[in-house]
Amino acid sequence: METAFIAISRDFQTYGAVERDGEVIFDRVAGFDQVSEERSRYAPKEFLMKRNENVLILNVENKTAVFGIKSCDLKGFYLMDKQVFGKDPFYTEKREKTLFANFVCSEPCSGGFCSSFGGPVLDQYDLQILREGEKFHVMVSEKYDRYFGEFKKEAGTFYSDFSNRFNSKLEPLPVEGIERRIKWNSELWKEYASACISCGACNFECPTCYCFDLYDDGNERKREWDSCILSGFTSSSAGNIRKDLDERLRQRFYHKFVYFKKSKDTYLCTGCNRCVEDCPVGIDIKEVITYDYNRE
Amino acid sequence: MSKMTEETLEVYTIEMNSKNEGRAGQFYMLSVPGVGEAPISVASGFGRNLIFTIRDVGSVTSKLKNLQFVGIRGPYGTGWPWKEYDEVIGVAGGIGIPPIRSLLEEMMDSGRQQDLEVMYGARTPSDLVYKKEFGDWTKSLNFQITVDTANAEWKGNVGFVPTLLRKAHLSKMAAVFVIGPPLMMMNTVKEALKLGYREDRIFISLERRMECGIGVCGHCNVGEYYVCESGPIINYSRVRDDKELFL
Repeated sequence: METAFIAISRDFQTYGAVERDGEVIFDRVAGFDQVSEERSRYAPKEFLMKRNENVLILNVENKTAVFGIKSCDLKGFYLMDKQVFGKDPFYTEKREKTLFANFVCSEPCSGGFCSSFGGPVLDQYDLQILREGEKFHVMVSEKYDRYFGEFKKEAGTFYSDFSNRFNSKLEPLPVEGIERRIKWNSELWKEYASACISCGACNFECPTCYCFDLYDDGNERKREWDSCILSGFTSSSAGNIRKDLDERLRQRFYHKFVYFKKSKDTYLCTGCNRCVEDCPVGIDIKEVITYDYNRE
Repeated sequence: MSKMTEETLEVYTIEMNSKNEGRAGQFYMLSVPGVGEAPISVASGFGRNLIFTIRDVGSVTSKLKNLQFVGIRGPYGTGWPWKEYDEVIGVAGGIGIPPIRSLLEEMMDSGRQQDLEVMYGARTPSDLVYKKEFGDWTKSLNFQITVDTANAEWKGNVGFVPTLLRKAHLSKMAAVFVIGPPLMMMNTVKEALKLGYREDRIFISLERRMECGIGVCGHCNVGEYYVCESGPIINYSRVRDDKELFL
């Protein structure tokens, strides 16, 4: 891996997951051995969509290689692509110039439910890395094949066998058909609204949430991550179509499990569990999937 | 900007020195540097000078009035598909009239004003905009006006705008283009269906918070649609079951 890393670092600025002050973040790395296999504290959305950026100037971006992003976080970008790529010039410029080398988790993490959305072995990737002891198995997309010319090509079913083993250890939730089971007037939304404090952490943590606000700040026009949970999100001169918190919470789950499925034929969730871990009042998106709506 | 006209106490019209590259029903993002942007429907026909009629309700719309230079990007969204239909009835409530004015200009410029009827309703006579143009419109086409509440001088129709649909002369095969406040659109659609117009020929204009205009920022998301992309003008039969449609 180190050989490939060196070859890549000649063409790309290299970043990796690293531990700093007890937290895993992304920073510049000079060698593959520096890259942490722990999941970063936050989904690294900022590589493609900055928390806050001026959108009056489109910068030509450097080519960037990011090592150590976890599959669940990387999948977020592939889902975002379906709505954002090619339309948002800032995202698109960065997306085209960023190589992601994702780590496939060898064991399910606590709380994560990625197997519900296909598991940690992704169908789409640049470099997909799975450790087996001291050995690394790497799946390389055609685009980056040249960095691995001298390595032995592996035939066989290693990855699919691994994927089957992983997904049998972490039983998938019954997500299929949620778009038909979920109920508009479910008690869940009111129940969640009574606990939710509208902090927006679920949106900001989510590797698939891409909504943003635009506002002027002096000579700059800024784009800043926004949250559909906040009351002003839909207010306009015509009124506010989602005045109540239960309506906004429902919108979040409907967007992920109903609307995105209808428009893009996939769910807007990777099973990373970040929104659950960082929700201060314990709202669990897994419950939205497993809830028995017929009971109501 | 070349011209500003006060229409009512809170509504004004601005004209620019640049041409409209958009179609009736589409919108532009207008901006005041340092303040922000607002989505505004174009009120003039394709190829004419850009005209916008604006209700002064927010930080941007209160400042667009007196600017020498207005920031502008667009056009965005969908327009009224009038070319696909032999007959068109435009129904506007309140500040929904500008996109119908644009429609009227486009159909006139194509020599098709006889295929258009326009029904326009406002709360009171003083809320009506484009009053100076009513004379010309009445000469060119069946143009009906109503107000919800009349004053002493008012001699015209009194009542909600859906009632005007009964005064239409065009056939029931006509496309019906509806734009205005949610309740007005809901009642107009109901009335149109009752009168026998075809559901798949009714088009409504969805008004939602819009920021990016390119289907990304998420504010205008309703059901599986982003209104700035699939709308604002959308076929009623595509969205009739959406639970947030007329909110």
